Amino acid sequence: MRMELAFNEEWKSDFLKHIEDDGPWTNWELFKLAIEAERHTTIPSFTGLQAPAHLPHLTPHPYQLEAARRVVEDMNGKAILADEVGLGKTIEAGLIIKEYMIRGLVKKVLILVPASLVSQWAMELNQKFYIPAVVQRKSYVWDQCDVVVSSIDTAKREPHRSIVYEQDYDMVIIDEAHRLKNSRTKNYEFVQHLQKKFCLLLTATPVQNRLEEVFNLVSLLKPGHLGSYEHFEKDYKGKEKSIEDEERLRTLIQKVMVRNRRQDTEMDWPERIVKTVPIHLSDEEESLYRAVESLKQHPVATRSQFSIITLLREICSSREAAYMTLKKMLEKETIEDNTESIILELMKKIETIPSNSKAEKALEIIQSIDGKVIIFTEYRATQLYLQWFLQQHGISSVPFRGGFKRSKKDWMKELFKNHAKVLIATEAGGEGINLQFCQHIINYDLPWNPMRIEQRIGRIHRLGQEGDVHIYNFATKNTVEEHILSLLYEKIQLFESVIGQLDEILTRLGMRDIEKHISDILLHSESEGEIRIKMDNIKELINYHKEESDATRKYS
Amino acid sequence: MQQENIHNYLRSYFLANDCPIIQEKQGVLSVQLTVDLDKELMNRPFYWHYLEKTGGTPNPMSLTLITNQDEDEIKGEFVHFGAPRLHQIFSSTKKLASFIRLYENIQSTSQQHSPLHPWLCLNVKVSYRCDRKKDRLLSLGLHLVSGTVVDDFHDKLNEKNLTPKIPDYTFTISPIIKPASGIARLEKVVEMVIGKEDHSWSEEAKKRWAADQILLDQFYEDNVDAESYAVEKEALRKQYEPVITAEVINGGIFYLSP
Repeated sequence: MRMELAFNEEWKSDFLKHIEDDGPWTNWELFKLAIEAERHTTIPSFTGLQAPAHLPHLTPHPYQLEAARRVVEDMNGKAILADEVGLGKTIEAGLIIKEYMIRGLVKKVLILVPASLVSQWAMELNQKFYIPAVVQRKSYVWDQCDVVVSSIDTAKREPHRSIVYEQDYDMVIIDEAHRLKNSRTKNYEFVQHLQKKFCLLLTATPVQNRLEEVFNLVSLLKPGHLGSYEHFEKDYKGKEKSIEDEERLRTLIQKVMVRNRRQDTEMDWPERIVKTVPIHLSDEEESLYRAVESLKQHPVATRSQFSIITLLREICSSREAAYMTLKKMLEKETIEDNTESIILELMKKIETIPSNSKAEKALEIIQSIDGKVIIFTEYRATQLYLQWFLQQHGISSVPFRGGFKRSKKDWMKELFKNHAKVLIATEAGGEGINLQFCQHIINYDLPWNPMRIEQRIGRIHRLGQEGDVHIYNFATKNTVEEHILSLLYEKIQLFESVIGQLDEILTRLGMRDIEKHISDILLHSESEGEIRIKMDNIKELINYHKEESDATRKYS
Repeated sequence: MQQENIHNYLRSYFLANDCPIIQEKQGVLSVQLTVDLDKELMNRPFYWHYLEKTGGTPNPMSLTLITNQDEDEIKGEFVHFGAPRLHQIFSSTKKLASFIRLYENIQSTSQQHSPLHPWLCLNVKVSYRCDRKKDRLLSLGLHLVSGTVVDDFHDKLNEKNLTPKIPDYTFTISPIIKPASGIARLEKVVEMVIGKEDHSWSEEAKKRWAADQILLDQFYEDNVDAESYAVEKEALRKQYEPVITAEVINGGIFYLSP
């Protein structure tokens, strides 16, 4: 234990000077007030939370307070905050920063968030927590301001990078931290080299696909907690895992992770009202779809350049999306004559398609709804088409993409809130915007990874949402989409049930790469019947584990 | 700190700094700032710089602070325990109230002059820090003649009637212990007080530190030369190393009746 008990030199010499000069002296009232102020700001105990007393305007939920307490007392200030989307991880993070600041343990904080969330974070910390967070706009901000919010892409680039490395951060916070799952990326390396006394990683989807990703996240936070990379690889990967191994790993992860689920929060959440909207392809669309499908047996299909599954999914979305993919194939230099003629044939078919059945359905729904609507699509070509299509029918919409600059994202959000009826977002734009003023989501095409669906819904089904949330899932009849919807979204009741649970189950089953799994089934099955049987198998497996996990939850 | 306490605190602060109160009602306080307090609180150095350069008439601002949350007719700043304004005023208080000298106001007559004994008072904040933190306030008085040390000195002073001018018919006894060595003695006292405390918290912190250090070493196994290893290791020290510090909040010389 280090003791630095010599009193502050400056005070001592000033005091002696005052004695020598015979003043000036303060008055008794002020002297007493100084002691009173000190008594109020003295921290009486190592444990407990001081922050709530400083935040009279904020009423955190009990689970948020408990999360903050656990991070400070049980996790020594290093944690993955992995609440489900929309439960207010920002509030938990704010409470924790505030607690450490009040205790004088944290002064300099670096907050790295997606570009679209930078201003929102700064605003929330200032308004809700009275934490003077500053958005990094000029390079002097790094060393002159104590609490800085920036995007990781800015921070990791020179000239910022060097300045950031020179700072001595007491706390580093990273939002949407699942983006750091790959240890070979520049972003990962950048964060790894930051000095961090305390660290919070925020993510709603901590175990998206592979165990390795959890390992990478935890190793950023607390290197060695899950062992070295080599050991981890040997212990958990490749071989058949024993129950004890699994349990050991789970216990270890729980030591650094807070994960609240909606069902555990004992709160009344707005309902999720889920509706499946079947779409019937027009004859022309159907004919294009079957033409591509029939290529499964064709020799071109075996070559990697021709992705049948991708094309099938695109056809279900829009002819524009499929067209773009075909065009790209054509532009490849190595293309064979044989393939080229197939592609040209398909393109001709596309040109004969007069309209888009899905878009028409979307229009119908949008027109029947009073409030605002978000449409999610996987494809940019579809996004552009929809914007044009809605425009033709007098409906104003704004686009939203992950690639937009921060200011543009803020602007688009404002436009949507105040002027437009529809926001059309692509996948990458799904994260990092909070749109709780909107109550309707159209899943124009469905991602195959259930976690991504949860990210989408989480944009509106979150704290602050007052009405019920309506989700419309579009599924084109007799296509890959129908299989996906029926498997993931109806039979395992993804939309009603809790995503975290499914995530755990997939991990346990070793089916973390579920997209690839499904894609294999669809591609290599001889008949519809075979597809159905294989999909049913997955369903049974998942449901079996789900019941099991429900049972354990009940008794734990 | 209750809203009412905050109101009273603010009131006392402004009065102690000679700011006239313009208006006061339940949970509302309007004060006219003095030039000094405007400079202290309002953060407008350019205005004051400009005024000094041009020699204009200073026009300090007035400030309305509201502690009653239901008040919505009067415009002003809402002040609560977490408000930056309150903490600014707290630290301003400490800055303005660092040093004091007072005499006990005792009744004496010309026939019987009374002696007043010199005491050194130090109010000290001791902080215990590792990855967690707590504080303890000590108020120590040292009799500058006998060397006697008294704790909870501030509370004892609070019971007395004190005045900045030496009262009539009293005389002060000269200190034998000089203020500088008085401070040194009280430093020793603080050390002794802390030495007697239970320090299991620091042992616990060291255990947490060691545990994390072991994990870190395992993680870097054959790669302890890596730059990130050094960075992480240092971060662990900063996070866990138990440290106790002492800081003087304020203090002064008090002449008291024996």
